[in-house]
Amino acid sequence: MIIGLKDSLKLIGIIIVSFCAVFVCTFFLNFYLDAKSIEHLLATENEMILYNAQMLTAKFTCSISGGFLALIAVVMLVFYLKLYINSHCSQLGVLKAMGYSDSEISLRFCVFGVSVFIGTALGFCVGFAYMPQVYKSLTVDGLPEVAINFHPVLLIVLVFMPTVFYSALSVLFAFYQLKRPVLDMLRGKTVKEKKEKIVRKDKDRSFLSEIFVGTLKTKKLLSFFIAFACFCFSAMVQMGFSMKQLSSEEMGIMILLIGIVLAVTTLFMATTTVLKNNVKNVSIMKAFGYSMKEYSFAVLSGYNIFAFAGFAVGTVYQYVLLKLMVGVIYKDVAAVTSYNFDIPLFFITLAVFTVLYEGIMAFYAFRMSRISVKEVMTEN
Amino acid sequence: MIVAKNIYKTYKNGSVKVINGISVEIEDGSFTVISGASGSGKSTLMSILSGLERPDSGKILYGKEDITILNDKDLTKFRRENTGFIFQQYYLLSHLSVDKNVKMGADLVKNSEYREIINAVGLEDKLKSRPSELSGGEQQRVCIARALAKKPKVLFLDEPTGALDEATGRSVLDYLVKLQKCDGFTMIMVTHNLNIADMADVVIKIGSGKIVGIKKNKNPKSAYEIGW
Repeated sequence: MIIGLKDSLKLIGIIIVSFCAVFVCTFFLNFYLDAKSIEHLLATENEMILYNAQMLTAKFTCSISGGFLALIAVVMLVFYLKLYINSHCSQLGVLKAMGYSDSEISLRFCVFGVSVFIGTALGFCVGFAYMPQVYKSLTVDGLPEVAINFHPVLLIVLVFMPTVFYSALSVLFAFYQLKRPVLDMLRGKTVKEKKEKIVRKDKDRSFLSEIFVGTLKTKKLLSFFIAFACFCFSAMVQMGFSMKQLSSEEMGIMILLIGIVLAVTTLFMATTTVLKNNVKNVSIMKAFGYSMKEYSFAVLSGYNIFAFAGFAVGTVYQYVLLKLMVGVIYKDVAAVTSYNFDIPLFFITLAVFTVLYEGIMAFYAFRMSRISVKEVMTEN
Repeated sequence: MIVAKNIYKTYKNGSVKVINGISVEIEDGSFTVISGASGSGKSTLMSILSGLERPDSGKILYGKEDITILNDKDLTKFRRENTGFIFQQYYLLSHLSVDKNVKMGADLVKNSEYREIINAVGLEDKLKSRPSELSGGEQQRVCIARALAKKPKVLFLDEPTGALDEATGRSVLDYLVKLQKCDGFTMIMVTHNLNIADMADVVIKIGSGKIVGIKKNKNPKSAYEIGW
């Protein structure tokens, strides 16, 4: 069978996203469960306010960050599976032609859950190791100290259940995608190609503009990932610095690191896919004499609008989230100051983002210029 | 005139010698066939002659200009202004229509009359079709139109009829040769089909990376006179 464990291990993006989701959820949920044991020790109203604010923060962060990242992992997995099925279309068609049923083939796709298991298991372990620092930063003066305990239920909920869920999702998605005529699959006809037939409006654009517009119209999922990467960078970097002032330095650094790791990984994953999808197009353009500036414009610049839109949404998101936390959750806690939008921080983040983003795009344009025209053009 | 002088090319850190000291001259406006068995080095020679690949040593002169010393940017400019390619595997952009695929070549030289070429290759009713909706012969004709739309001075063809049936193959060759005689561009074709060699003005036979023979046809045959 063509689907193997190594295919699952290639899903670095999913491993990192699930790692981040479980890493955050592990210590917040663990703190939530452990802090319940000190509830009976609280005597004053002030202590109760502080306690409730802490518990709400844990729940809030878990649902927002964990839920959002889990959703991204679903989108990422579906994207990878679609890419895998499209690129292995004819091989899967051969299996179907030989007599393997759709369910027999799709069951093999459960190995893609392994990437989720690796990410969640690592996230759980690292989250647990990092827990003393988090407990230290979450413990507010005036509240009894919360002791760290191991909760097996969290291991099941955060590691095993997501693995089973994502494995089942892979199988179901593959089953749905394999429901196609064998001949279409043998000819390598992807689902996308069939859909493209429906909409056909050729306008009188130049060839380069046509490729540029095609990117905006047809590469929606890749555009989403690029926007998501920039969203993560914008939201988490600005939030990280604001959290340093509002909460603690450890919390700020943690958010900052998660944001950078998520942004860089997703951006590299998406841009590598863009490059892989365009190797032959770039080769033929190079053979015909298109310059690096021209083919990198055609292939990459269509994503710029999504990148900066993602950055803008991230800025709004972090502002609303912090305003909500400070205004609603900590409204009765005197120690927490008010939060206002940090304009200098925004411009610094935007400048750093622009330099990084353009740097990565320049790197990929350079990689495109290194594609061997002869190798691709004379392959048989 | 295109002149290749003492061309050497090796792969895998010099352990595989692909081109072993080839020197050859190709007249402007001629139809030259490079033939040889699989692995003889004919495709590599074509890649080097066209500037797709650099030799380890030797010179490729287009008139007085040595393309082996050009940097990547200048080599790209050279290909843009001089060469056209037709490949056995077509390499059409699958998500673009026939019209846009041909426009890819036409835009490089600002050729606004490229649709005449599409008409000439008989695809006027397939302008909006995607490559996946075309037969092998039709795809090859798109490839020809794309290469000709940029008005190349030298057209390189790598087994252009390799994936075509006899009738389509003959009509494609017939069209190409007539066009080449009419427009006067140089045509260099790589093929292992010795029958096609009978159509060329000059046939260069390659074996083990060396030229084993050069034959000039005084009376080249037409595409419908050769064997298949």
